[in-house]
Amino acid sequence: MFVQGLVNGAIDKLPANIELKMAEDIKAKLENYRTAPFDARFPNQNQTRNCWSNYLDYHRCQKALDAKGVDNTPCDWYKRVYKSICPMSWIQKWDDQRAEGIFPGKI
Amino acid sequence: MIFRTAVEHAKRHPSLIPQFFFICLGMGGACLYLIRLAKGPHVVWNKTKNPEPWNQLDPTYQYKFVAITTDYKNLKKEGPEF
Repeated sequence: MFVQGLVNGAIDKLPANIELKMAEDIKAKLENYRTAPFDARFPNQNQTRNCWSNYLDYHRCQKALDAKGVDNTPCDWYKRVYKSICPMSWIQKWDDQRAEGIFPGKI
Repeated sequence: MIFRTAVEHAKRHPSLIPQFFFICLGMGGACLYLIRLAKGPHVVWNKTKNPEPWNQLDPTYQYKFVAITTDYKNLKKEGPEF
């Protein structure tokens, strides 16, 4: 589910082996990765929000999993997706903004 | 009150009924489509409580009217949860 608020609370109570299984599933998915899959949240031609959402999700996922002390390689799914969809100039601009601390999104 | 005047008007000029009907149809359709756009997942109504409403949808959410090739029932969330 996309209900991240609920998941953030629930995932603290999940046993560690579910996180391991998640990491294995994501590893398998990453090995068979061709391109960003269809995302029902963004069904139209304008995929700007899809790019933005995955960029934010990657950095939020990294921050969340680092805070928990868990291996953050499952977050690489979001990285692959935003690298597939986003124009390189946007990625560079946002990376520079994050480095300077002026990034407009909430991470 | 407005309906009574409309009915009297219709009795006196019955040939104008199709115009009334089509005006109602067009305005009603436009209103309904505006409502559909307002309920879309890309619209943020409450910036503090729900700043990213597209994250609150399930993976089988269908926005389009007709699904030609996409099999919406079997879609799953792709990325890991955090």
